[in-house]
Amino acid sequence: MNFQINKHYFIIFVFIFIFCAGVSISVVYGQMTPDEILRKSDEARGNADGIEWEIAMNSIESGREQQRTIRVSARSFNSLAEFLAPANVKGQKMLMVDRNIWFVKPGLSKAVPISPRQKLLGGAANGDIASTNYAGDYKIIDISEGVFNREHCYLLDLTAIDKKTTYDRIKYWISKERLVGVKAEFYTVSGKMFKTAVFEYNNSINVEGESRPFISKIVITNAIIKEDVTTMNFRKVSFKKIPDSMFNLNLLVK
Amino acid sequence: MKYHASSPVYFLAAVLAFLAVLIWPGTGFADTDTEPVETEKTFTEKFTMEFRALTYGNLQEPSYSTQNQRNNFLRMPRYLGDIELRPDLRFNVSALELMAKPRMRLEYNAWTGAGMREQGSKWDDDWYVNEWLARVKVRENLFVSYGRENLQWGPSFLFSPSNPFFPDNGRRNPYLEVPGSDFARLVWIPESSWTLSFIVNTEEGRNKPVGPDPFEKIYAAKIDYTGRENYASLILSHKEHTGNTTGIVGGWTVSDAVLLYAEGAITEGGRSLYPERDHSFFGSSMQQIYKDGTALKPVLLTGGSYTLESKGTLTLEYAYNGQGYNDAQADKYYALRRRAANVMDSGNIMTGLSQMTLGQTTNTGLKFLRRNYLLLQYAQNNIRNIIDLTLRWTQNIDDASCQFTTLVTYYLGNHMELFSIGTINGGGKNTEFGSILDYQLMMGIKYTF
Repeated sequence: MNFQINKHYFIIFVFIFIFCAGVSISVVYGQMTPDEILRKSDEARGNADGIEWEIAMNSIESGREQQRTIRVSARSFNSLAEFLAPANVKGQKMLMVDRNIWFVKPGLSKAVPISPRQKLLGGAANGDIASTNYAGDYKIIDISEGVFNREHCYLLDLTAIDKKTTYDRIKYWISKERLVGVKAEFYTVSGKMFKTAVFEYNNSINVEGESRPFISKIVITNAIIKEDVTTMNFRKVSFKKIPDSMFNLNLLVK
Repeated sequence: MKYHASSPVYFLAAVLAFLAVLIWPGTGFADTDTEPVETEKTFTEKFTMEFRALTYGNLQEPSYSTQNQRNNFLRMPRYLGDIELRPDLRFNVSALELMAKPRMRLEYNAWTGAGMREQGSKWDDDWYVNEWLARVKVRENLFVSYGRENLQWGPSFLFSPSNPFFPDNGRRNPYLEVPGSDFARLVWIPESSWTLSFIVNTEEGRNKPVGPDPFEKIYAAKIDYTGRENYASLILSHKEHTGNTTGIVGGWTVSDAVLLYAEGAITEGGRSLYPERDHSFFGSSMQQIYKDGTALKPVLLTGGSYTLESKGTLTLEYAYNGQGYNDAQADKYYALRRRAANVMDSGNIMTGLSQMTLGQTTNTGLKFLRRNYLLLQYAQNNIRNIIDLTLRWTQNIDDASCQFTTLVTYYLGNHMELFSIGTINGGGKNTEFGSILDYQLMMGIKYTF
């Protein structure tokens, strides 16, 4: 009899535990504001104190395929992209200091300032290779729920805080479980979708003893010409202290 | 074969010196036998080399203006051929950065065609180091360097008035390298937004001075600020024997597609030549009227660019060149040039005077001859992943002459590119762009190993 009572107590205890655990988890995420969710998702896309990575880009545009390999050193909203391959672009550099961008080409006498809109390759904008700062650059105008690849997501409707951002409006799917952005749709001012991006996180980084997923692949597809696809594979990810001198135009050896 | 600082000895010395540093004990490359894998990795990380070979041909039609009647003064070749080898070597360890750009150039010039006074051809070779640099990181935010550099800054295409060291900003023809000068530099970064540089050009190097006077040392302090979507620089410079110049640069990323920028300089005095009436044989002569004066001559350039959704970028620039000639001075200038040209072939003592005067009118020391200029440019890179295109119109507002330039690059695979640069000059013979060349067409191949 006592055994029966104990068994009931045990089952009730387990139910209560599971319920509390579930509630506490949902409370943890539930307590996160949409801004915090967005900020957390940014962390998996390079918004760190200092990071270096190599990006292998493959672009198919109008049936023509093109590759680039770029080494990116980034810190906060600054980045230096050095082109490593193929041979005819080797030595080119792109320096982004916040919203200021300069392009340096071997043989070209001086760095050319370029606008954020100027494309890097295929469907990839200059802003796509650097750290992502959606939390700083965009305002959340709506949050709902959605599913992408059978994964439950927060669906954030983002609009640019000002005209300085790479995109005017983004619909951004953030995995509820992993808190990483898994899909994005990019829109023009007129509300027309012009490209989509899908994100993978097979890299991992160690921050303060905690292993976190980190961006490994972005596939950008043109919304109108579906065959135009740009793939960016992120590899050799390493955290390192990157000094100010890395982003200084005076020290950029041509 | 040219000698001075441009013999094969210098070319080879640069390469050997660079290699000597690489194999010197302590640089990580001396112990190749003991740790081949680690050494190979270190070498790949620390040393980079880019090797380019160019060959191009140039067809140009001299303008038979009073500056160069029947091409008897400038004697410009009609055809030019050129082969260049351009290795760029870099070595970078934590505190030391080395860079060298030795060059080999083989050039062919031909003077031919009806109307040309001189006929014939010649080959020439030139071996030199166009740029080299040794830079030491004293502290994380303090750098000291010495070397031969092509030191450029500023956003403008037309010219860079804020730069006291280089009259040519290299934008006109990106396939021709701007010759380097020897510089000592100190760069201090007190915090991420601010940079302070002290610069002195110790020798002219390969960058021959514009104008009638010899090389002068220039001491400059440059303060740079970079904000979130803007940047600005103040450049204070002092020429050893001439005067002071204050230069400014500013740029603003207005939106995703729009950039605005400005460059300017105010110079005290100057050694440029201006036509002045006098009692000489031609009734006037070229004189340095501001040589000892303190007259302030402003030069201001302002511009902006808009990047279209279709990827192309439109750029518009306006430049006010306060050092240039006004209408009265321009009239005097062309009248003097005409009188000098008329006696060029007289065969007596007047020929010498004519040549001296035409030499001065060719090389006045001014970047641009007149005061008001416009530039309109359309550029689009990576068209269908294989073509870069630039169309550029430059207008001299004062004398209505103009220059139209097209730059086209066609990529043949990952190593080879075909390029062409065509320039057509419009305007009368007594105008700035109509004075020297009617047209010029350069076509070539660049191969990157």
